Amino acid sequence: MFDQIAAVTLINLRSIPQRALLSGATVFSIALVVMVLLGFLAMSSGFSKTMQGTGSADVAVMLRTGSQTELNSGLSVDQLRLIEEAPGIARDANDIPIVSGELFVIVDGIKRASQTEANLPLRGVGPAAQSLRQGFTIVEGRTYEAGTNELIVGEGIIREFAGFDLGQTIRLGSNEWVVVGIFSTGGTVFDSEIWTDLTVIQNLYQRGTSVQSIRARLTSPEAIEEVRAYAENDPRLNLDIQSEVDYFASQAGGTAMLITYLGVPLSIAMAIGALAGAWNTMYSSVDTRMREIATLRAIGFSGFAAAFGTMVESLALAGLGGLIGAAGVYLLFNGVSASTLGSSFTQVVFSFAVTPMSVVLGLGLALIVGFLGGIIPAIRAATVPLLAVHRS
Amino acid sequence: MNDFTLIRKNLFRKKMRAILLIFSIMIAFLIFGALGAFYSVWTSGSSSAADNRLVTVNRINFTVSMPFAYWGRVEGVEGVTNVSHASWFGGYYQEPANFVQTFAVDPESWLAVYSELTMPDEQRAAFFNTRDCLLVGADLATQYGWSVGDRIPLLSNIWQKQDGTSSWDFEVCAVFDAEDDTLPTNYAMFHYEYYNEALAFNRDNIGWMVLTTIDAAQNDRIMREIDSLFANSPAETETSTEAAFNEAFAAQFGNIALILLFVVGAAFMTILMIVGTTMVMAINERTKEIGVMKTLGFPAPRIFRMVLIESILLSLVGGLLGLGLATLAVAGSAAAMAAFLPGLSMPPLVLSIGLALAIGLGFITGIIPAINAQRVTIVTALGKL
Amino acid sequence: MTDLYQLTDLSKGYTRGREAITIFEQLTMSIQEGDFIAIMGPSGSGKTTLLNLLGGIDRPSSGSVDCQGVRIDKLSQGKLAKWRAANVGFIFQFYNLMPTLNAAQNVELPLLLTNLSGKARKERVATALDIVGLADRARHSPRQMSGGQQQRVAIARAIVADPKVLLCDEPTGDLDRKSADEILETLQLLNKDLGKTIIMVTHDPSAAKYARRELHLDKGRFVEAAELAQ
Repeated sequence: MFDQIAAVTLINLRSIPQRALLSGATVFSIALVVMVLLGFLAMSSGFSKTMQGTGSADVAVMLRTGSQTELNSGLSVDQLRLIEEAPGIARDANDIPIVSGELFVIVDGIKRASQTEANLPLRGVGPAAQSLRQGFTIVEGRTYEAGTNELIVGEGIIREFAGFDLGQTIRLGSNEWVVVGIFSTGGTVFDSEIWTDLTVIQNLYQRGTSVQSIRARLTSPEAIEEVRAYAENDPRLNLDIQSEVDYFASQAGGTAMLITYLGVPLSIAMAIGALAGAWNTMYSSVDTRMREIATLRAIGFSGFAAAFGTMVESLALAGLGGLIGAAGVYLLFNGVSASTLGSSFTQVVFSFAVTPMSVVLGLGLALIVGFLGGIIPAIRAATVPLLAVHRS
Repeated sequence: MNDFTLIRKNLFRKKMRAILLIFSIMIAFLIFGALGAFYSVWTSGSSSAADNRLVTVNRINFTVSMPFAYWGRVEGVEGVTNVSHASWFGGYYQEPANFVQTFAVDPESWLAVYSELTMPDEQRAAFFNTRDCLLVGADLATQYGWSVGDRIPLLSNIWQKQDGTSSWDFEVCAVFDAEDDTLPTNYAMFHYEYYNEALAFNRDNIGWMVLTTIDAAQNDRIMREIDSLFANSPAETETSTEAAFNEAFAAQFGNIALILLFVVGAAFMTILMIVGTTMVMAINERTKEIGVMKTLGFPAPRIFRMVLIESILLSLVGGLLGLGLATLAVAGSAAAMAAFLPGLSMPPLVLSIGLALAIGLGFITGIIPAINAQRVTIVTALGKL
Repeated sequence: MTDLYQLTDLSKGYTRGREAITIFEQLTMSIQEGDFIAIMGPSGSGKTTLLNLLGGIDRPSSGSVDCQGVRIDKLSQGKLAKWRAANVGFIFQFYNLMPTLNAAQNVELPLLLTNLSGKARKERVATALDIVGLADRARHSPRQMSGGQQQRVAIARAIVADPKVLLCDEPTGDLDRKSADEILETLQLLNKDLGKTIIMVTHDPSAAKYARRELHLDKGRFVEAAELAQ
């Protein structure tokens, strides 16, 4: 039995070159389907990776109740002072609480790719801000000096937006700024931001002493409950307190899901289209070898062996298409930088990420197409009437 | 019987093959039609924009506000016919998830600038004269089941009142529609005064201004004049045409057009390969019959034409089915997508392009088999010397 | 009887690989109107090539093929197609019916090349099917018919446009004796009653008996000609 199957399968695979054109078209179309699927998944997982990689479990983000995003929030300096005294907040070597009141305004940048204006966050931060972001490093230049018109710019901004190079003077509204440093936080959302001293932003944008968000280092991830209890007991503190991980996870959801919801049905529709191609190829594979299959059957090969050979041919073509598609997406898109509007209404720069999981999914889709495309022709091969031996 | 009978019979000679091909063509055109409708609604902001309508925003970014006093100063610029202003309210109804696009506006000037918004005269008067009136778009009213006379509270996720709450009470006293069905009516408006007087912070600021000009040809001069009025002030402005502003906003999401082009391109490459190779094969299989036809006296150009028409017919059948399905799908999802993409419908332009693509696809996939068929020599086709 | 075909100094050869193969050289013959000729000879003797040249579906290497004053070897492809449609009916060994068309539609096929109205075409098709005795099988598809029936449909197709000449290439080569005899009788009838000139290639001596005369072709030459009185 095994010998039979091996023999028939070999005959099938050797006959592929006879249908080079049709087989090639099938491989190519399946490759395109897999590329579309993996392209969308790479976009979606690249975006989620950026958002999810951003949060730390031991940093709390505090916003005004109901405001959902930093953009809508507003907190007073009194609230900031109260939080600094809260239990569960970590302190540095000098016993100063690690808390940063932050304020951000949206400014315009020019996208390199499209030369159109896009929203960028200009974040005014307190001295503790840098130590509140894991992996924060100044890659080039130096940090800003408090109270001056100096900026530091995230790596993502440099990649996607024009005019923020080191040493450059930028005009935002009626104010001029100098870029003195480029920072990195290892590919998180903060790499898509521009930072400067909080008090400068407060002054230039007439915000008095107010801030929009407070970030604080917790003594442990569990300490967030202590801070919450403290805030609830003080009527002056109407705050939503979330760990940074939760905050970014909730912000990531929408866009990543939208990309996935758009990409998955599209690739399934395309897969159905390619299915027709695979089916057609396998159908004509059986068709042109009708006599050969009947001859094999006549000399005693089983119908199952004939079906199996056809199925292997179909799966081989589909698998090849899947591999080509996955390799194509990897070479074309993996690591490609892009940016889109995130939920805080500013641009988030991210990189396409082709994950092993998505490659597995893509190959799975290809093989499903191969299987469904091969199944009926395979059954047909198994049931070729023996009289077809005589057919011309 | 005529040539068309022959073409039709040839096309469906192998039913399974024909159905599979039509099916895969249908899928490609379904993708094209659905994405085409999506894209044209997505960019309809720029196409529905009046060419003599300008938008003035804070130079820093359109989310940054500007002083209320700017409104009066722009009115004085020569060539400006109407100016109005709006402020983003960030509204929601009951739950933060029930997001409602809401603007605080100056009622009379707003409806003068957006003259395409229609409503009964008595409702228009009610909107002008009722301080706490909420003017609701028809789509929005349908979404939440609101009608004239309802009293509803809207909450803001940005603004606070002096009393510490974020809730404003409104009476729905007018519902507007738009002259053109494709214009969105999924938002609401109310009196700027009613909002401003209650604000805890950021009072006497407005979000942006919209204005109409006497003549689109004067837009450039007017844009320059407005922006120079506020140059070197803490809130410099940037004025652009409504179309440019909408386009720039849509572009913030990334190059949607390029992504859609990729997908549609991939879908068409797929069927081009599948249909093209299958047609070549199908005609090769018929070499002998073509030889017989030629023997009977059918001239080569006529056979060329018949093969080409067969291929175009195949694409047209699949293409029309796909476009029809896309139209149904778009109509079916219009209600579900109303909040995200209002006015989703199948634009005739997309259908026309689709039709042209179907004919083009048929031509491209048919031309090589048609040339092959035309070149068939009787002697070799009949396999004899 | 007058001459229908005049072949003069006809040569035909082709190359297979590097080898030049001559089928016949300097062949001269004439075919009279109303004749029924059986061309016999071994495989490769040039029977079918001769038929192809007469039917205007192949061109001679040199020499001329004249059919009633028309030099068909000189006609362009387009003119040749028109000439074939008007003057020649073909009958093949394997019938070569269109599998997608039914019997009546197969017969009607050559009429698509004429200006006849739909009604006139229908009448002609009915007449032709009647002549071959298949009036009751008009709606059958080739697959539903026996070899003999298929060949009769092919004959109806060949005569429907009322050509002067019928060129038959092994018309009974794929048929049993009884069907073959029926086909040959039909051809004889067409020759006698309707005055069709018939040129038939065959290697079956009993088929050749139905013809008025036999020509034996060997290596491109007529080796003997036997006039048969019917």
